[in-house]
Amino acid sequence: MEKTEKKNSLAKLKGMHELSLIIIILVFGVILSIASPLFMTWTNIRTVLSGMSTDGLMTIGMAVVLISGGLDLSVGSVMCLSMVLGAQVLLAGGNPFMACLVILVFVAAFGWLQGMMITKLNLTHFIVTLCTMGMARGLVLGLTGGRSLSLLARLEDYPWFKIVGQGLVFDFLPMQLIIFLIVAVAMDFLTRKSSPMRLVFYTGSNEKAARYSGIRVDRVKIAACMFCSICAGLAGIIYMVKFSGCPVTAGTGAEMTAISSCVIGGCSMNGGKGTIFGAVLGLTLMSMVTNAMNLLSVPSTWQQFITYSILLVAVVFDVISQMRSKKKAA
Amino acid sequence: MRKVSRRDFLKGTAAGAGIAAMGLLAGCSTGTDAGAAGGGASAASGLTGAADELYTLNCPNNGIDYWHPVYAGFKELGKLLGVKTSYTGSVEYEISKQVESFNQDLAKKPKGICLHPITAEAFQGPIADAVAAGVCVSTFAADAPDSARIGYVTSDNTKEGTQAAITIGDAIGGKGGIMTTCNPGQTNHDIRVDVFRAQIKERYPDVEMLDNTPTNQDADAAYQAVMTCAQKNPQLAAVFCPEATSAQGAATAAKELGTGIKVMCCDTNDAVLDMLKTGDFLAAIAPDQYMQGWMSMWLLFCAAHPELMNPMSAKKATGKNPTYIPYLDNGLDVVTAETADYYYMANYIKNAGYSSIEDMLSDGNP
Repeated sequence: MEKTEKKNSLAKLKGMHELSLIIIILVFGVILSIASPLFMTWTNIRTVLSGMSTDGLMTIGMAVVLISGGLDLSVGSVMCLSMVLGAQVLLAGGNPFMACLVILVFVAAFGWLQGMMITKLNLTHFIVTLCTMGMARGLVLGLTGGRSLSLLARLEDYPWFKIVGQGLVFDFLPMQLIIFLIVAVAMDFLTRKSSPMRLVFYTGSNEKAARYSGIRVDRVKIAACMFCSICAGLAGIIYMVKFSGCPVTAGTGAEMTAISSCVIGGCSMNGGKGTIFGAVLGLTLMSMVTNAMNLLSVPSTWQQFITYSILLVAVVFDVISQMRSKKKAA
Repeated sequence: MRKVSRRDFLKGTAAGAGIAAMGLLAGCSTGTDAGAAGGGASAASGLTGAADELYTLNCPNNGIDYWHPVYAGFKELGKLLGVKTSYTGSVEYEISKQVESFNQDLAKKPKGICLHPITAEAFQGPIADAVAAGVCVSTFAADAPDSARIGYVTSDNTKEGTQAAITIGDAIGGKGGIMTTCNPGQTNHDIRVDVFRAQIKERYPDVEMLDNTPTNQDADAAYQAVMTCAQKNPQLAAVFCPEATSAQGAATAAKELGTGIKVMCCDTNDAVLDMLKTGDFLAAIAPDQYMQGWMSMWLLFCAAHPELMNPMSAKKATGKNPTYIPYLDNGLDVVTAETADYYYMANYIKNAGYSSIEDMLSDGNP
């Protein structure tokens, strides 16, 4: 009986799409540890993990949208816009609660509007989010006059709020990392176990079939868009507090990091496939590669080429191992 | 004693310069129109342009705040000279979009265009077309050296890198390690970093040059780069960033590490200025953008009014415009805690008498 259970667990583990990615990350980690003894130190790991928090939140939102069969190019701009709105509330004398409330209400409404345009006007995610990406970035410039905002003095009035982006729990664990992990674990659990997330999968894998089977596809798609924007808003709150201000260029290119992480982690661009765990692993691999560049002092002009070459090798390895396991299963 | 604002001071200076120049020119014969750019200025007299004379300032990514003080200087001198000014360019940092906006400027038949070209090569043709149409073109902050532009006004990136090296080198007592961040491919940033590293090596032989990490103007990337570098190199004593956004991340990391790492950058933003005042930042280098715009306007006006000059050269006789200034350095400032207040955009807008940034960037009318 115990043996059968063990065999089942092993089979389950082998069947996990993420397994190959975990192996790649471990192998890469071992190589890095040999190449640089600093890699496995807690300070370095903490730096990498805390750096992943804002990108990680956006990656989680992106994974849900991708699973629903969509795409969101506006996450980075929405993150920046949410920061600017929150900062302006604070600078106008509001407190952090008001700032966070404004951010979350705004991003939810923003996501809702995107979802409505996609579902009710039958526009593609690509065109809608491409436009909203530009609109959000334009609003950032319009609201700030192109000038980065500083919250250094304002945050001094609310030391408890600073904890969100700068605090350490038990003096070693960054608060931003804990927020990210809570969202990641909760969403991964929901993705695997909850019925609402099943609806997202059904919608993403075959929208027509989902509609015929009585799923309110439009609602699902709108909710996915809203969730993605809310994740970007959360990332904005952390970023704003971490750096005590809002650079107007914040979040530039963040959509590509999020999409790449999701795809490396097994999310399908055609929808209906993917996990939050996989997406987070994808982001972990990307962050490790960036960390490796810094640790190994790779010349700056070659870093981009080497980073994307490593990622391509990882994706190819992942695809080959998936194909092999499918063949074996057949 | 009444406090003289910068705007009043500049008005006075320009008026004084104008009177002096007119006095000098009074005894000169009127210049021929040969080579005069922009055609005749029927209502122009002395150092006052015609009321319909238009000069535009064209830059890419025109929502970015760096350009705004440039236009403020451009517009203010334009007003003093009695001409119209307009802030144009492309929203994106994309060459075809900027060329399109340049051509749209040309369609307005301006007397002059002050241009920040993304790339020199792409603008050779459009500048030649502009000059053929009688429009003077000058460049600022980035150049198109092989084109027909009449002048180039810029802060000197080499001097900025050198000044940063001296400031940081002295601040750390010529010892320890320094890392830099970079944005490969952005020429002005590349020059600042390359010069900085070379100058440190030359002037402070005991200083060890550490990583040069590409952060691409991302505060988070800079934060991680500094954290990693400090771990690898406990001797890390200072960080130099060629722009302010990365510096914001670098300073956050330096503060968190608490080992006294000094951070310095080129350009400023409000967060950097606040950190300067709280002592979390060593210094910042600010190119004098206002003077960049002011001097650009002056060059264009001179080029559009060759009749004002009687140079001791063959230019007039050979039909060439006497105004040709291949390079004009608008200078730089080292911003410290004591001077930081002068560099807040909000303070500047208020002191200059504008109601908002939109007001400052609006068309200038005589």
